[in-house]
Amino acid sequence: MADITVFGTQKIVTMDPSLPEATHVAVRDGKILAVGGADCADQWGVVRHDDRLAGAVLMPGFVEGHAHMMAGKMWDFAYAGYHDRIDPQGVLHHGMTTIDAVMARLGEYASGLTPGQPLIAWGFDPIFLPGERLSRAHLDTVATDRPVAVLFSNFHLMCVNSAALELAKYSRDTNAEGVVKGPDAEPTGELQELAAMFPIMRRVGLDFRALSQGEDAIRSYAAVCRLAGVTTVTDLYSGIEDEDLETMLRVTGDPELGLRIVPALGATGGSPDDIAKRALALKTKSTDKLRLGAVKIMTDGSIQGWTARVKWPGYVDGQPNGIWNTAPAEIFTLCEVMQREGVQMHIHVNGDEAAEVVLDALEAASRKYPWPGARHVLQHCQMMGADMFRRAVELGACTNIFSNHLWYFGDQHSALTLGSDRARRMNAARTALDEGARVAIHSDAPVTPMSPLFTAWCAVNRQTMSGETLGAAEKISVAEALRLITLGAAYTLKLDSEIGSITPGKCADFAVLGADPTQVAPGALKDVPVLGTVSGGHVFLL
Amino acid sequence: MTPLPLTVISGYLGAGKTTLINRLLTEDHRLKFLVMVNDFGAVNIDRALISAQDKDVIALTNGCVCCTMGADLYMALGDALDRRPRPDHLIIEASGIADPLAIANTAIAEPELRYAGIITLVDADNISDLLNDPLVAPQVRGQINAGDLLLLTKSEHKHPAVTDLFASLGLPEPTTLGDWPISGLLAGLTQKEQQDRGTGHAEYTTWHHESDAVLEHEMLVNTLKNRPRHLFRLKGFAQTTSGSFEVHIVGKNMDMKRLDTSHKTTIVGLGLAALISLQEIQEWWKL
Repeated sequence: MADITVFGTQKIVTMDPSLPEATHVAVRDGKILAVGGADCADQWGVVRHDDRLAGAVLMPGFVEGHAHMMAGKMWDFAYAGYHDRIDPQGVLHHGMTTIDAVMARLGEYASGLTPGQPLIAWGFDPIFLPGERLSRAHLDTVATDRPVAVLFSNFHLMCVNSAALELAKYSRDTNAEGVVKGPDAEPTGELQELAAMFPIMRRVGLDFRALSQGEDAIRSYAAVCRLAGVTTVTDLYSGIEDEDLETMLRVTGDPELGLRIVPALGATGGSPDDIAKRALALKTKSTDKLRLGAVKIMTDGSIQGWTARVKWPGYVDGQPNGIWNTAPAEIFTLCEVMQREGVQMHIHVNGDEAAEVVLDALEAASRKYPWPGARHVLQHCQMMGADMFRRAVELGACTNIFSNHLWYFGDQHSALTLGSDRARRMNAARTALDEGARVAIHSDAPVTPMSPLFTAWCAVNRQTMSGETLGAAEKISVAEALRLITLGAAYTLKLDSEIGSITPGKCADFAVLGADPTQVAPGALKDVPVLGTVSGGHVFLL
Repeated sequence: MTPLPLTVISGYLGAGKTTLINRLLTEDHRLKFLVMVNDFGAVNIDRALISAQDKDVIALTNGCVCCTMGADLYMALGDALDRRPRPDHLIIEASGIADPLAIANTAIAEPELRYAGIITLVDADNISDLLNDPLVAPQVRGQINAGDLLLLTKSEHKHPAVTDLFASLGLPEPTTLGDWPISGLLAGLTQKEQQDRGTGHAEYTTWHHESDAVLEHEMLVNTLKNRPRHLFRLKGFAQTTSGSFEVHIVGKNMDMKRLDTSHKTTIVGLGLAALISLQEIQEWWKL
């Protein structure tokens, strides 16, 4: 008979109402055998006590229901963001609050590179640095003998130095849209949208796909997850070619990785039937630590980029309505085919008009091909109100809410995009729960940093960067928020029978914490230290 | 290396993009097209013309290749540029709602690519509904406005309802897609090149100008800017008071590149005979 290990802790918050708190958990075969006191597993045979977690508080391993694998590999490049951020090695990178500070950091970074090696940075966001505009003149102070490219946090813009402009042969004669020119008619270094960025990316070896696939990317992603207490994570828009699958199976199969990954195949590059077929073929390759078979569907853009499709009265500053990345008619077809074929969908909906089209499409599909338990997931749900959550409930669709936006972009949504009325109602977790919706909350890392405790803090406190409370009526309790980052997210991935609570029979996946989130002040939820994770009974301390 | 010309085929769902692409692939043009499509399954080519096929690529006996775009357009573009030998011309099928300008702009930005036009297909049967649907009308109008060549599909003749609607919206009227060989127009072949390739055709108007005179630069630029709307393609060299230039015009897009060496003026023009006559071009060109 396999060994039984009993972990003694300071406290276990189980998220299981039959035994909400405990001190010990017994593990056999990577699964939870028993929960309770020191003797909880004695009736199962000889046990071995493990006191490595003696000072810690355990929770079920956190589940991040919306993130991207790129969140790890981005750290191959220099960080240039405004906010403090922790890299996969656990090193804190202080945010840079002036352009000078960014230049100083890039200068240091350049000294560690080989001669001529391109310097690539990410995470820069001019929204937080009003006044001066980043230009090649700044970046030429960092280096003139190597290309320097600073990606903005939305990945739609970059700024490059003169050496990089020269590589792409950009000059005053360049007529391409998105190559920004200054008063002297010379390129300023700012490049807008992928068409203008492409010649640089191609020449400095910046390849978004390589950031999202391969062993390095997976291991780096696992490191990011461990720091956040996450033991099950999504990768919501995955290419998954055959060679990628082989690598994913091998790397996730390594018990030392300590992570379960749930990729969703990007629904593009083929007919809906072909995509469904591919998803179903992938599903048969699933293992405990790699759960395949779902697809991701894009619909509209982002609210802060004014590309989300919003209903009347539109954007507060008069910007035109956003854009569809998938036409409404195609959304209907995709929903119908996936529903018919039994493929679970994660569907991006930022604006309320996009959410409405998707609810209509799901309703039409479910009239044709009823599928109780489909658990399609509306992702982001930023502008959904009570009416739309009620429809999601009727349709059995889950809602994964982008709570981190409240802190990162809440002030901007009030002032610039939606106006204060609708900003107060954004990411309405209270309403969603009151309407009986199936809810999760997420980070969309690397768009915002992965940290379910921070995401829970956002949903509980609804505080913006300026310190305002955005819509106090939509606050939820700490207990509710903790449920959303565990069982709530597990439900959206159809994994609630296996993870999400510390219940006998489930996987021995735990978040190892330095304090009890249920006992700290709600305002301190984000400051609860993560000490590591346990995945399938393997302990990974930081 | 000569830049790879890039043409974008745009049009809403069901506008006939795949049909047009099938035609481009199989017309007798003696050009090696590389065509990237969204939905590979929809490309339906006569088996006799296929020399090899796997799940992502169809190679034709005439040297053309059709392949899937995959999830990332830009990665596909990079792959196309890395291909050896390089194809003669790259054609990209934009997805039904995509903004063709965003794709074609890559050809203007990337030194190894050359802008070779946006063809927007307009479905005679449903364009009125689309332009009246508030959900999609702005993006459909954007595709029409972006088109260097607008082709009316699903109709053999002009459609009065479409003509009226486009006029009322201030949109240029689409041309009926007949059975003329469209590849020659796309590739912008000169009359001589067409004759050499055996694809010369009465459906095209071609024009040629050669001179040893040095043109006044501003005057040339103004003349080019005020070219007739249906002069689809203009290419060649111009010697002006500011130096020698390589000139490429495709539809609405104009590109003048300064040359290091002097080159006398030789320019050829190409348009659809149904839309523009030689006389019209000659009356325009007064330099």
